[in-house]
Amino acid sequence: MHKLSLTLKLQLSLIIVIGAAFLKLNAWHYLGAYGIIALCWAISLRVPVRKLTGLLGLELVFLSFLALPLGWERASFLLVRSLVCLLTMNSFLLTLPPHSFGIALKGLPLPRPLKETLLLAGQYLEILLGEVTQMQRSAKLRGLNGTTGWIRYANASMIGALYLRSLDRAERVYAAMIARGYNGMLPVDSTPRIKERFALLAMGFLACSLTTASYQLLF
Amino acid sequence: MHIPDGFVSVPVAAATTVASIAGLGIALGRSNDAFGVRRAPVLGLTTAFIFAAQMVNFPVAGGTSGHLLGGVLAAVVLGSPWAGAICSAVVLIIQAVLFADGGITALGANIFNIGFVGVWVGWLLFQTLHRLFGGSKSRLPLAAGIAAAVSVPVAAIFAAIELAISGTANFGVILPAMAGVHILIGVGEGLITGGVLTYLIAARPDLLPGNDEKQIRSWVVPVVSILLVAGLLSLFASGWPDGLEKVAEDTGFIDLAEQVRIPVPTPFADYAFNGNEGIGTSIAGILGSIVCFGVAWGIAQVAKPKNA
Repeated sequence: MHKLSLTLKLQLSLIIVIGAAFLKLNAWHYLGAYGIIALCWAISLRVPVRKLTGLLGLELVFLSFLALPLGWERASFLLVRSLVCLLTMNSFLLTLPPHSFGIALKGLPLPRPLKETLLLAGQYLEILLGEVTQMQRSAKLRGLNGTTGWIRYANASMIGALYLRSLDRAERVYAAMIARGYNGMLPVDSTPRIKERFALLAMGFLACSLTTASYQLLF
Repeated sequence: MHIPDGFVSVPVAAATTVASIAGLGIALGRSNDAFGVRRAPVLGLTTAFIFAAQMVNFPVAGGTSGHLLGGVLAAVVLGSPWAGAICSAVVLIIQAVLFADGGITALGANIFNIGFVGVWVGWLLFQTLHRLFGGSKSRLPLAAGIAAAVSVPVAAIFAAIELAISGTANFGVILPAMAGVHILIGVGEGLITGGVLTYLIAARPDLLPGNDEKQIRSWVVPVVSILLVAGLLSLFASGWPDGLEKVAEDTGFIDLAEQVRIPVPTPFADYAFNGNEGIGTSIAGILGSIVCFGVAWGIAQVAKPKNA
């Protein structure tokens, strides 16, 4: 499975996620089938279990706040479906080599500017988080720790300062990318091989069948 | 405000998806400047910034919380509502696909509400207020803050309408509930937007639009002013009867009107929307203004001289 290209891995992950998202509400059997596929996907990618469970737990707690007011029956289906989607995408993201999201993006049928924005947003998120950590450390050193410190930290000047600091770094990173020949797209050959095309078609067919069948069952 | 999977019906999801794809197509074409060497980092970083900011929820009254939408902030920093819409759309795509925050089946609805309605309402209001405040850079944060604050409940009203059309909730219940909560969230949005822009003007004034008023089109100010009066000030209109009705009530001939009244099946009776007063008055006012404008424009087109 490690021999699969990044583009194909992203495409397969998206097929599973989109297929599960379009399932008819309360089609538990079909959701179970997607769950098995997602589990197999996670095992085949050899995702680090501890990291994955930590991330899934955090995201599910957040989602529970949204879903539980809808009633137990509906919320349980939505939460399990979200779990399947999160398991699939997190398995892909956690096994992605550093700075290779752009390579994976290249094969998606999206307009070039949109892909460029996605790529830059992904890269700059790391810069932003780095700056947040640095500013947190500085705030702590100045005695701005605890809840009060966070309220001060969250004020608009700090957010503005964070934006500008990150922008300075983002501009430097972008200038370096331009200097190395970046012209809006990473120079990666994304033409899929025959085996990869077959895998994509097979997964697409499977997902399409499962999702369509979930509607026929319940009508 | 991110609508999850299962909340919107298939027709609503399909209609909003088509509208969002069309809007994104136009936005990508119109914001070519934002993808140049100079602006690309600003666009990418603003997108990442909004994504990060949306993860930080602030408490709102009644046990609910809200977060920055950031569309108006992005539009002002990037100088284009189209680029702002792209930022919001990319954030929503990342959230839906990678983090299951907002449904994939409702992605079209979310992009439409937050990325287009929110950003464009905020942008037009910002342009109008900025001009009304004199067009100077020092007043820009105030104009943007108010615009951002108003854009949030307007986007929420669109979300409520989609949910009501989908049959998820009763219109009379969901509309005031969504509008009420999002007015409070809008206050937070306005304060953060205004505060961040105040800092940016002091630290990096070159990032923001200048003191010129060229980008404000001549029709924007009157149109937005009319919508403000019809949509916002109408909320504070007096509920007392007008002069004639008062006299009719006092002298006892008000019943004469009731005897001959022909019931007209309109959802906007008494300037309410489906019997919903308050926010319904606002919607009825906006729709009424649009209809009046359309009729007047049509008459003008017919009546104007051919060589005009």
